Amino acid sequence: MATFLLILHGICALLLIGAVSHQALGVFWPRRPGQTDFVANARGIRPQIYVVPIMILFVTTFVLGAAIYPVYRVYVRPPLEDLRVLYGIGLFEIKENFAAIVLASLPAYWYFWKRTSDYPTTRAALTAIVFVTVWYNFIAGHILNNLRGFG
Amino acid sequence: MNNSVIARAFPAFAIGFALFYAPAYSFTGGNSTFSWPLFTYFPSVGDYGEFHWLLVPGSDTLGPPMWWYGWIGSSIIAGLIVAAISLVLPEKATMKIWSTAVWVAPILAFIFLLDYEMFWFVPGWMPITSFLSGGGAG
Repeated sequence: MATFLLILHGICALLLIGAVSHQALGVFWPRRPGQTDFVANARGIRPQIYVVPIMILFVTTFVLGAAIYPVYRVYVRPPLEDLRVLYGIGLFEIKENFAAIVLASLPAYWYFWKRTSDYPTTRAALTAIVFVTVWYNFIAGHILNNLRGFG
Repeated sequence: MNNSVIARAFPAFAIGFALFYAPAYSFTGGNSTFSWPLFTYFPSVGDYGEFHWLLVPGSDTLGPPMWWYGWIGSSIIAGLIVAAISLVLPEKATMKIWSTAVWVAPILAFIFLLDYEMFWFVPGWMPITSFLSGGGAG
């Protein structure tokens, strides 16, 4: 069951990566008029339409991660401690902490994207924070799973 | 209280959460005098684990403690308190502050947390604020 949830967690994270990357490209590197190549098309989106999907995917990924966290704590972390693979534990600690803080920021992220057209700097900053966190967590999760998965 | 009024408190909630969570993680240890987590979960006990209110250190009978859920719980309370305070302040005068603090606070929290988490990567690392309390990991 834990392995199934872990795979589901990874699939949701993959979808989330796509959504936050599109949104970040749309915010920080928007397509200019006349650009029609593949990369320009990836950038030529309306960032606000990704807000709700990002929130749903983030919460789903977070809940799945929280559900399998005890398995990590009991079966994965102790061997890493015994083997002194401390950087693996550190990568996970950063991941869990960033995820929790961004989760609490999601209502504000929604507010500045959907409820007001003011504060573009805030919108961009929150988008960047979500983008960096999701990418870091995705990579850290993969490294940790490669170090020692659930088996 | 209508939805738009509640939505106005979202930035303050995020700020309160982040500013409580970072020291909660960093200053929680088995011997902490202040209980930063709202509860402790012991995943090794029974089929579904066991919850205890406030900070409980691990032991041979209870197994390893998990404080992460408890930090989130207490940080939600901190966030709600700051959110409630924001609602009694004048919106026009404070929204500019909230709109900046809402992204500065998570970044400060990340830096604070990274400073504490560096000991996993650098043997002998001493966090800048280590004089305040011991490190945490749960």
